[in-house]
Amino acid sequence: MLMLLAQEAAEQPKPYLGVFSQGSLVDFLVVVILGIFIWVLVSRARTGRKIPEIKKIAGLEAIDEAIGRATEMGRPVTFVPGIMGVDDPMTLAAFGVVSHVSRQCARYDTRFLALECDPLAYAVIEEITRQAYLEEGRPDAFNPDDIRFLSGEQFAYTGAVIDIFEHERPAANIMFGHFYAEAMILAETGSFQGMIQIGGTAETAQLPFFVAACDFALIGEEIYAASAYLSKEPVLYGTVVGQDWMKAIIWVLILAGSIVATVAPKSTFLADLLAK
Amino acid sequence: MRKEGPMILTVLSALVVLFNNYFFLGQKWGLADPLNNWFQLSWGIALALGFINLTSIHWKYVQRRREGWFYSIVIMVCMYGYLILGLEQTHNGPQFDWIYQNIFTPLMSTIFALVAFFITSAAYRAFRVRTKEATVLLLCALFVMLGRAPIGDAIWGGWSKFVSNWLMGVVNMAGYRGIQLGAAIGGFATALRIMLGLERAHIGGTGTQ
Repeated sequence: MLMLLAQEAAEQPKPYLGVFSQGSLVDFLVVVILGIFIWVLVSRARTGRKIPEIKKIAGLEAIDEAIGRATEMGRPVTFVPGIMGVDDPMTLAAFGVVSHVSRQCARYDTRFLALECDPLAYAVIEEITRQAYLEEGRPDAFNPDDIRFLSGEQFAYTGAVIDIFEHERPAANIMFGHFYAEAMILAETGSFQGMIQIGGTAETAQLPFFVAACDFALIGEEIYAASAYLSKEPVLYGTVVGQDWMKAIIWVLILAGSIVATVAPKSTFLADLLAK
Repeated sequence: MRKEGPMILTVLSALVVLFNNYFFLGQKWGLADPLNNWFQLSWGIALALGFINLTSIHWKYVQRRREGWFYSIVIMVCMYGYLILGLEQTHNGPQFDWIYQNIFTPLMSTIFALVAFFITSAAYRAFRVRTKEATVLLLCALFVMLGRAPIGDAIWGGWSKFVSNWLMGVVNMAGYRGIQLGAAIGGFATALRIMLGLERAHIGGTGTQ
């Protein structure tokens, strides 16, 4: 019995440095450092000091153009936020874009259709869109039936979106979020329909499909910069610059790793350090 | 307070999840467990909202005799029929399971199978030699395909496999990991923006502070 208790005690995970969970120290430091960078840059922006510029993102510049085209053609704009829920950072990033697109559609009196797969994302997007129409002074133009929950199942959702593409004939389709196998089907269907398509995801396996089938594709981290970029707020620009500073630290780590791997191939010092 | 309340809840929840993920005591106490339960509960309530939304839209289609209104009836019959069957039998029920395995799964596989055709048409457009970049893309794709198919071995012996593996393991992997690193930092930054209240799109509005 005592041996069993001792064995169980030995199997219990132990804190690292008495505080941290095993393997989480470096993750925690990344969050802290990124938080400091963001705080520094946000403070600079708030006091009116200069924030470094961020590069132009063609896909985001094209959003207003796509809505303008839909307005001229008198056809709707569709928004597809991927198939994952509100616990996915890509879906959270998509909310900022929904806000911008629905606002523009409200301003130009263009029909806006949002097609959801996750019920929580559906509820959030409905609220974002309603608020956007309200803030643009057009609450009467908001139609709750245009914010649609189609299905919680990946391919049932895909089939429903294809049906809407064919029946509603949107002029522009904006896809931001976390996509899997449905990315290719949706983007190609949109391409066959002749829509202007802007696709963005950080899911690397689906990126080539968006690049091949969409007019504009946002790659990886660009979707996380989207809401800051579209808002044109210096404070939010600052947070994107903070991301770039963090990347600079990671470049240094990659360089150090390459040097260590070349000079001392058997050394596991850096790998062990980062695994803490 | 309409926006401050959800904002405070967001910040508190984020702090609990952070503490749970990074600190030993958080995991020991299982701090995030109630949050996960509440998340599931919210998901269930939102699903009911989605159900109402679907019903409302398709009921209107039927009332207005919109093109294809018959399919709206099919959707509603399937949706409510399967719900009632599930409530009566639970998810282990024989009829419930039979429908899932023999109707639902093949239908899903059918739509998934469409990917092959769409990939072919997209690949045709992407690989057309119009620019220098498209030419490089075409050549890389050609080498990778030859390396993965028996005909590559028949033509060049082990070379095709070597070139294919090098392209996939070095060139492709470098790009892949670069994108992944950028996306991971972007994800962190998005979470921090929401946590610090700088981005408020999720509670309605402009997406800015």
